[in-house]
Amino acid sequence: MRKKSDIPFALPAIIVVALMTQIPFLLTIVYSTLRWNLARPDLPIKFVGLDNYLFFLNIPHFPAVPEFYSIVWQTILITGLSLVLCTVTGFLVSILLDNKVPGVNFARTLMLGPFFVMSTASGVIWKTTVFNTTFGWYGVIFKALGMTPVDLVSYHPLFVIIFLFWWQWMPFFVLVILAGLQGIPVELNDSMRIDGTNWLQSTFLVKLPLITNHMQVAIMLGLVFIIKEFGLILVTTAGGPGTRSYTLPYAVYMQVFNASNVGRAGALATITVLLVLITVNVLYRSLKKRGEAVA
Amino acid sequence: MAQAPSAHVLHQRVMTRRKIKTIVLSVVIFAIAILYVFPILYMFLSGFKTEYQAVNPGLFFGPTLGTYQKVLSDASMWRYLKNSLFQVLGATALSLALGVPAAFVLVFGKFRKRSTNGSMHAWFITTILLPPVAVLIPLYTWYQKFSLDKTPVGLLIAYVGFNIPIVVWMVHSFFSDVPPEIIEAAEIDGCTRMQQLFKIAMPLVRTGIIAAGLLVAVFVWNEFFLAFNLTGIDHATLPVYMSRFREQQGMFIAQLSASSTIAILPAIVLGWMTQKSLVRGLTAGAVKG
Repeated sequence: MRKKSDIPFALPAIIVVALMTQIPFLLTIVYSTLRWNLARPDLPIKFVGLDNYLFFLNIPHFPAVPEFYSIVWQTILITGLSLVLCTVTGFLVSILLDNKVPGVNFARTLMLGPFFVMSTASGVIWKTTVFNTTFGWYGVIFKALGMTPVDLVSYHPLFVIIFLFWWQWMPFFVLVILAGLQGIPVELNDSMRIDGTNWLQSTFLVKLPLITNHMQVAIMLGLVFIIKEFGLILVTTAGGPGTRSYTLPYAVYMQVFNASNVGRAGALATITVLLVLITVNVLYRSLKKRGEAVA
Repeated sequence: MAQAPSAHVLHQRVMTRRKIKTIVLSVVIFAIAILYVFPILYMFLSGFKTEYQAVNPGLFFGPTLGTYQKVLSDASMWRYLKNSLFQVLGATALSLALGVPAAFVLVFGKFRKRSTNGSMHAWFITTILLPPVAVLIPLYTWYQKFSLDKTPVGLLIAYVGFNIPIVVWMVHSFFSDVPPEIIEAAEIDGCTRMQQLFKIAMPLVRTGIIAAGLLVAVFVWNEFFLAFNLTGIDHATLPVYMSRFREQQGMFIAQLSASSTIAILPAIVLGWMTQKSLVRGLTAGAVKG
């Protein structure tokens, strides 16, 4: 009998994936325990234990919270708010697109567009043609209405980033949620009509519980992809002003390429991965529980 | 004196009301859709403006191809375009070539331990959760040391490594829908594993393979983080090219529009053409698993 002839089918994939993802990640954890500065080759690379973590986690002057914590908070705020916005509006738009009216397929296709746009392009397009106070639509419309447009990118950087994340990812939520809505059997719609349920009841009490699985998929994948987004922040606010729109991935990048500090960057990267894994896990469990309670 | 309306009139009233509702709904949906993608539409239009026309936002103007001519006569634009095409074709082909056989034996393969299939599958899935920042530092130092940043192959390997798990995840769910009896029957008839894969299993999950390939193609075409950090200027891709416009505060809007149209149109068209199989692939891969 064939004994181990199945391994070679998976082995090349396992080797490449391990070499490019898991092994580098383990190395990142190792680096996080070293004092290693790329800009200072004269200093020896030295084992410093948890010093790099303590550098970020320590709160030396108590009421004054160090920058690290505001960056964590900004990451949570940006990811959380964009996910909530995507879920709520994604569901409402899906309900709207689930109507059989002329041209609805074309409208759906049109709205799917932003999901396929590269984030650096959508960032520069919004920034120059809409948000710009002199040349953009936002500036022109505000001036026409007799108001003074505020430079949103500098004064409300978090708003701009959350808005753009929402714009880019809502279509993905619609894609998944609409697939769920269209999987609801037609007989159910008929029986709801006979039973005389109104729009609110049929939408939120009947349809919403039936598509929790799809919601869960959209939220989980949305979280995984939004949390690692980097290009959009770089091209719009560049993390600024100061560090006010940094996220953890952006801070890791700055530690490597601006501070050249491999050890500290490693510690930040490890913390980022831990936070992502914990959040995904918690979210998965709570959604799973709710899904079972409904089913 | 008002007469009670006849059944016929009542029926007509209901029909007109329904018709009005349909039209209103149609208009509302279209208005939302157009407003939502307005920046893309406006960008598409502005590519046909001169720089002078593009300074003031406006929808009506005499179109010109001059800006496109200018953008396309820039040799660096072609270099970025060529690099992007290389990465997309190479990474999609290799991710499928390595990922599909792996997904196949994860479903149908027999290993010494029964649990091996499940644990290998879980291993691939958790890799999807790993954000690229987690690997940036080691990859960056390796690439500098072995000069991988000076060849297109370096970025390609990274893309293959990051996208194989996505292929495995999507195609796995499609293979799981294939009744195992079909594969067993082929085995009894003397098919080798290779023949079972190519002749029997792969044709059955064609939709899944296509969906996975297209998703990987779109991801690679749009990927910025690794392209930005792991390659030199000679091998960077279009998202890096687009990011160079970030410094120009509202200048060269026409040029920006023409360039971004070229950069985003392939992905949008690819995505639009395949939205059906993409939905199936995404929901099959996730709702069940």
